[in-house]
Amino acid sequence: MNDPDAWRGRVVDAHGHLGGWSGFAIADTSAESLVALMDRCGVAAMCVSHLLGVGPDARAGNALLLAELARWPGRFLGYAVYDPHDPEAPGRVRDLLGEPGMIGVKLHPDTHRHPLDGPGYEPAFAAAAATGAIVLSHGEHGSPWSDPARFATVAGRHPAVPLLMGHAGLWPSGFAAAADVAQRCPNVVLETCGSRMTARHLARLVADVGADRMVFGSDALFLDLRVGLGRVVLAPLDPADRDRLLFGTMTRLLEGAR
Amino acid sequence: MVIDIDRVLGPIPEDDVASADEQGLLAELDRLRIDLACVVHSHALFHDPTSDPPRTVSDRLVRVPVLVPGPLGTGAVPARLVRLCPAEHRFALTGPHGLALAGDLSDQGTAVLLGWGSATFEEIHHLATRYPRLRLVLIDTGYRSLRELADLMDAHPAIGVDTATLNGHRSVEWLARRYGAHRVWFGTGAPVGDDAGPRFQLDHLDLPGADVALIAGGNARALLGPGRDGR
Repeated sequence: MNDPDAWRGRVVDAHGHLGGWSGFAIADTSAESLVALMDRCGVAAMCVSHLLGVGPDARAGNALLLAELARWPGRFLGYAVYDPHDPEAPGRVRDLLGEPGMIGVKLHPDTHRHPLDGPGYEPAFAAAAATGAIVLSHGEHGSPWSDPARFATVAGRHPAVPLLMGHAGLWPSGFAAAADVAQRCPNVVLETCGSRMTARHLARLVADVGADRMVFGSDALFLDLRVGLGRVVLAPLDPADRDRLLFGTMTRLLEGAR
Repeated sequence: MVIDIDRVLGPIPEDDVASADEQGLLAELDRLRIDLACVVHSHALFHDPTSDPPRTVSDRLVRVPVLVPGPLGTGAVPARLVRLCPAEHRFALTGPHGLALAGDLSDQGTAVLLGWGSATFEEIHHLATRYPRLRLVLIDTGYRSLRELADLMDAHPAIGVDTATLNGHRSVEWLARRYGAHRVWFGTGAPVGDDAGPRFQLDHLDLPGADVALIAGGNARALLGPGRDGR
């Protein structure tokens, strides 16, 4: 009972990435380096999108993602990046969601400069609803593209789609707004990664919305997996809530998505 | 031994935090298995650096004076480790007063904590060029700064970094392997920054044990010396 290490080997990271990024150096962008860290700290699987797709080229990024899913079956699960400016995206996303290892759709309204509740993303939500896929979107309080209020709008339109709010609003000033949306919208789940999140903030979010409405995410290899994971493992949480965050809630969502 | 080189004691304006008082801070250190913390008092950071902040009692807390140069400042004090906050306290790090203070600190062998957001790359480069023996520990460097850190650390052997927000993928390992673990210090920046993540990262570094020991506390112990109180 209450084994402090009971989570090891069971963690499902709901928000990860592969590849490099334009804005800064990542010391090692290889998938091997990420898997090695997963092994080192007890992460069983990571749900990832490819940063080439999040950035300029969703088609090429999603192709690279499929190759990595095939190379690391079970260790990586895939989000297809949806580019709202690509006229062929609606058809492509349906095909991608049928590929082995794909579990959802990744939206990044701030990179694509299209509001989460705008018309360009409606086909992505429709595809998710039709296939039972999860939608993970970047969420940033105060952003004209991905403020928590926009999650409430699309969650109401698509109540059967599990919608992960990436970063739980990102800024400490936005965590309360994120929690409010999660409390009002049963299909919105808060995801925990972000460089401004602390264990203190995380514990408050769990108290406000419940660990069954939150999932652990690291943003690795954009960020260091261990920092995001440690924030949950060492947070002042009840062990049962800790485990819901680390794998329980996401496992339930994935079972619904398969 | 684990020593947090970069911590704040006292209430902060943006939140209700456990480390608002010494007892609360010590409980946090216990919970995270941190033996010793080098602490800047929040009054010195957010109120008035020229006033003496409340004294600490515990021998697990090392007071880190916050210095301000010039006739309206604090002047130099005898300490092993101090912090400078040029942006927050509105002084020019590489102005005449700032350089004079830095020269004094260099002469007396005092190390300096300097926030990455508190000075520009050019100011840090200028300062380190002028005083190559001045030991600078850059704190709160974030995950986007690796190329700039490499530029500075290649040029200036006395510059090191703390791990507080150095949370790019494997950034700690990259810096420790390229520059040596003697230039990487465990720190959290808590409670403004997160302490749990860096603490967990420390336990899971992909480095030889001797390097981890230096980062965890060996570097700080060597700096603080036998008195451990920094003075």
